[in-house]
Amino acid sequence: MERHTRFWQCALLALPLLVFGVLVVWPLLSSFYYSFTNWNGFNPHYQFVGFGNFARIFTDHLFANAIINTAIWMAAAIIVPTCLGLGLALLIDSRVPGGAIFKSIFYLPICLSAVVVGQIWVWIYQPDWGLLNTAMSAVTGQPESYAWLAKPDTALYAVIIAWSWQQTGLAMVIFLAGLTAIPHDLLEVCELEGTKFRQRVWHVILPLLRPATVVVVALSVINSLKGFDILYIMTGGGPFHSSDTLAMHMYNESFKKYHMGYGSAISVVLFLIALSIIFIYFRQLKKVDEIYE
Amino acid sequence: MSSVALARADEREFNPWPAVIFVGLVVLAVLFLAPTIGVLLSSLKTTKEISLGELWSLPHSLYLDNYVKILSDPAVHTYLINTALVAAPATAASIALGILAGYVFSKLPFPGSDLLFLAIVSGMFFPPQVILIPLFRLFNGLGLIDTLWPMIFVHTAMGIPICTLLMRNFFATVPSALREAAILEGANEWQVITKVALPLSLPAVAVLATLQFTWIWNDFLWPLIFTHSDAMRTIMLGLVFLKGQYSVAWGVQGALSLVASLPTLLVFLFFQRYFIKGMTMGAVKG
Amino acid sequence: MTGLSLKGIHKSFGTVETIKGIDLDIQEGEFVVFVGPSGCGKSTLLRMISGLESVTRGTIAIGERDVTSVAPAKRGIAMVFQSYALFPHMTVAENISFGLRLGGVDKAEVDRKVAEVAETLQITQLLDRRPKQLSGGQRQRVAIGRAIIRNPDVFLFDEPLSNLDAALRVQMRLEIARLYQRFGATMVYVTHDQVEAMTLADRIVVLNEGRIEQVGSPIDLYNAPENQFVAQFIGSPCMNFFSANVEHIDGERCLSFGRETVSIGQDISVREGDAVSMGVRPEHLSLDADARKLFEGEVDVVERLGNETIAYLRVPVSSEPVAVRVPASREPRPGDRVTVGLAEGQVHLFEPAGACLGRVPA
Repeated sequence: MERHTRFWQCALLALPLLVFGVLVVWPLLSSFYYSFTNWNGFNPHYQFVGFGNFARIFTDHLFANAIINTAIWMAAAIIVPTCLGLGLALLIDSRVPGGAIFKSIFYLPICLSAVVVGQIWVWIYQPDWGLLNTAMSAVTGQPESYAWLAKPDTALYAVIIAWSWQQTGLAMVIFLAGLTAIPHDLLEVCELEGTKFRQRVWHVILPLLRPATVVVVALSVINSLKGFDILYIMTGGGPFHSSDTLAMHMYNESFKKYHMGYGSAISVVLFLIALSIIFIYFRQLKKVDEIYE
Repeated sequence: MSSVALARADEREFNPWPAVIFVGLVVLAVLFLAPTIGVLLSSLKTTKEISLGELWSLPHSLYLDNYVKILSDPAVHTYLINTALVAAPATAASIALGILAGYVFSKLPFPGSDLLFLAIVSGMFFPPQVILIPLFRLFNGLGLIDTLWPMIFVHTAMGIPICTLLMRNFFATVPSALREAAILEGANEWQVITKVALPLSLPAVAVLATLQFTWIWNDFLWPLIFTHSDAMRTIMLGLVFLKGQYSVAWGVQGALSLVASLPTLLVFLFFQRYFIKGMTMGAVKG
Repeated sequence: MTGLSLKGIHKSFGTVETIKGIDLDIQEGEFVVFVGPSGCGKSTLLRMISGLESVTRGTIAIGERDVTSVAPAKRGIAMVFQSYALFPHMTVAENISFGLRLGGVDKAEVDRKVAEVAETLQITQLLDRRPKQLSGGQRQRVAIGRAIIRNPDVFLFDEPLSNLDAALRVQMRLEIARLYQRFGATMVYVTHDQVEAMTLADRIVVLNEGRIEQVGSPIDLYNAPENQFVAQFIGSPCMNFFSANVEHIDGERCLSFGRETVSIGQDISVREGDAVSMGVRPEHLSLDADARKLFEGEVDVVERLGNETIAYLRVPVSSEPVAVRVPASREPRPGDRVTVGLAEGQVHLFEPAGACLGRVPA
C-alpha cells in the first residue's frame, strides 16, 4: 500500500512541480545569477562583475529615489486600505438595508484591470475637466486646474490613492469575513454586560479581528510592492522619476536601457524585501494562531 | 447577530445611528462608484461634449458611436481574441495542476510536504519582476517572443500557488474515509480524484475559475514583455496602445475601457460570491 | 476455509509502538469483536487487516493466503466505516455499485446485483436518493449494501453504531445480528461499547495498550476473566474490588472479607502474607437480611433503572464506592445505613499486578 502511495505522490506532483520549477523557481535562481553579470539582454557575451551591480545600487540616486517612493507606498498600503476597509466592513456589518449592494459597490473595482483603474483615475485627475478639479471648483467657487499627475510633488500620492480605491474593497471583504467569524456568544455577553459600541470595538472586536488584520496588511503591502501596471499607465514613473518605484526602476533599467544585469540586481533587492515581509507575515500568523485557535 | 448590533435601542428613544450609517454608506458608495460611472457616461458622449467640460454630467443623448467604433475595429477584435486565447487555457491548466498538487498535499502527505506546500504557496507573494528577465531570455531563446505561448505558460505557472492553496484547503474538508472507502472498492488514486474528490470540489473550482480568469484577463505586465507586434497584443495592452491612437477621443477610450472590462465585470456580477469566497478562503487560512 | 489469522503483529508509528505483538486465529464464519478503551489499538488492528494501515512486523492471512502486502481491494474484505463514508454526490445505487463499476462489470449485471442487495436490505425504494436525504439507519444499510455486493470473505466494521442515538443503536444492532445470521460470513467488529460486544460476538478480544488481554466467548469473559483489567472492563456496573492479605486461620488459608472469611482452595498458589485483590460482581453482593454479612456502609447514590436498582455505597473497607445490585422492590435511599452481605456467586482473586489467581465460590 505504501509503495503505491509513493508512486502516486510522485506521479501527481510531477507536472505541477515541473511547471512551477521551470517557469518560476529556475528563473528566480537565474535572476540571482544575472545580477552578478553585466549582460545587456542580447549580447551572448557578458562578463561576471561580482558585486559590482550591487555596489552601483548604493551610488544610484535613482535607486535611492525609487526605494523611498516604494517605502511611502508600502506605508500607505499598511494604513489606507486597512483603515478604510475596516471602517466599511463595520458599517456594512451593522445590517443596514441594502448591505449586499453596498458590498458589491465597494468591491467592484477588484474585477477591473489595473490598466483600466489607472485610466479612470487619469481622467479624474485631468487638469481641465477631471472630476477632482471640477468638484473642487464647485466647492470653492474658483476654477481649479492643478495637474495632479504632472507635478512631481503629487504624482506618487495620486497614484497611491487610485491604487487604494481598488485595494480597499479587498480589505473590506476580508474584514467582513473576519467579523462573521466572531462567535455570536461573545457579542451576546457584551450585550448582557451593557457595553457601548466604542468599548465593544476596542476591547472585543479589534482583538478578535487580529487574524484578518494580519492578512489584510500583508496582502496590501505585497500588492504595493507588486504595483507596476497602474503606475505605468498613470505616470510611467514620472514626472522626472518622482513616482518611480523599485519595480518601475527595474523595468526601466532592464527593458529601456538594457542593463539587464543591473536590473536583475534591483529585482534581487525587491525579492529580499518581499521575502522579509513574507517571513514576518508567517511569524505573525503563527502567533495569532496560537492565541486565537 | 451583527457585531455592531445597534438595533436594540430603547423603543422610546429615537436611535439615530442606523440612519446615520445608511447615509454615510450612501455617500461613500457614491464616491466609490463615481469613477466607474464617469467612464460609463463619457463613453456615451461625443468628444466635443467632453472637452467642453461635461464629462461628468448626463449625456444629452445616447451617443453610441463610440461603441460602434470600438466594436468594429478589427484591432480590438484581435486583442479580445488574443486575450481569450490566453485566459481560457491558462485558467484551465493552472486549476488542473492545482488540483493535482492540492490533492497530494492534503490527502497524501509525506515528510517535508508541508514545507514544500509553503514554498509553493509563497510564490503568490513575490513580485513578478524577479523572474522577468530570465523568462524573457528563455522565451527569446525558444523563439517564442511575440507569440501567445509565453503568456499561457507563465500564467499557468504563476497560478499554481493560489490554485494549490485553495484546492488543498478544500480537499482537507473532504473526509479521508471517503478516499479509504473508494480504495477498498478497488479505486486507484487517479480514480479517487476523478470520481470522488473532483465532483465534490466543483464549488472550489468555480472560485478558482473566477479568480484566475479575472487575473489573467486583466494582466498587463506579461503581454508587455512578451509581445511587440500589434497582432499579438492582448486587450489591456491594446488599451494603452490605442491611447496614442485615440489621443483626444476620450469617449472612445471610455468605451474601450468598458468593453475591455466587460468579461470580468460580468463574471463579477454573476459569480460575486465565488470571488469573495476565493479571497477569504485563501486569505483567512493563510 | 476463509478464516483470518494474525501472527506476531507489531505496529509502530515512528518510534512509538502501538501494537505490541498480536496473535489471533479467527474461524471462518465467526463473529469476533475487538473491544477496549480508547487508544488500545483496536481500530489500528482493524485497519491493518483491511490493508489501509501497513504492518511493521508480522503476517496476516485470509484463508490460506498471506495478504500482509496485498492491496486492500484484493484481500477479499469489505469495510463499514464509522461515518459510513457514503459518496455524497452519488445516488444510493451508485454508491453500492461503485466497486463493481470500477471493475468493469457490465451494466446489466451491476443493476441485477444492486437490485438483489437492495431487496435483502429493504432499501429498494431508496436507490435513487442521495445520502443527504437518508436517515442514519438507512445510511448504514447502504454502507452495508456496498460491503455485501462484492461477496467478501471477511466483513470489517469500524464502530458503525457510534454515530447513532441510543434507540437507533439498539435497532441497528439487531439488524447486524440478523445480517450475520443470514450470511454467516466472517465478521470482525470494533467497538468501545461492551454491550455491543457482549450481544453480538461469538468471541470477544479484549485489547489494552496494544496487547490482547483475553480472548473468549462473552460468558467466559464475564464469568472467568483472566485478569483484573478484563474483570473491570466487562460488566456494567463494573466489578467491585477489595484488597486483603492472605492469612492462616484454623489451619486454612483464607482472606478477611469484612466480618467474613473467604477460604482459599488448594489450587490457588498464594502464600501467607501475600496481598490479594478480591473481585465481587454487584449482583453477588446483597443488602438482604439473610445474606452472610460482610461490612457496614452508607448509601451514597441510587440509580433506578426500572427493572433493577444499583446502590452505590460508601464503605470503610474500600476507598472506591461499592456497587450493589438491589431488586427493584427494595428502595434504598441516599444516607441509609445498610449492611452489605455476600450472596451466592463467586469471588475472583487477583494478584495486585492483575493476573487472575482463581476463583472461589461464595
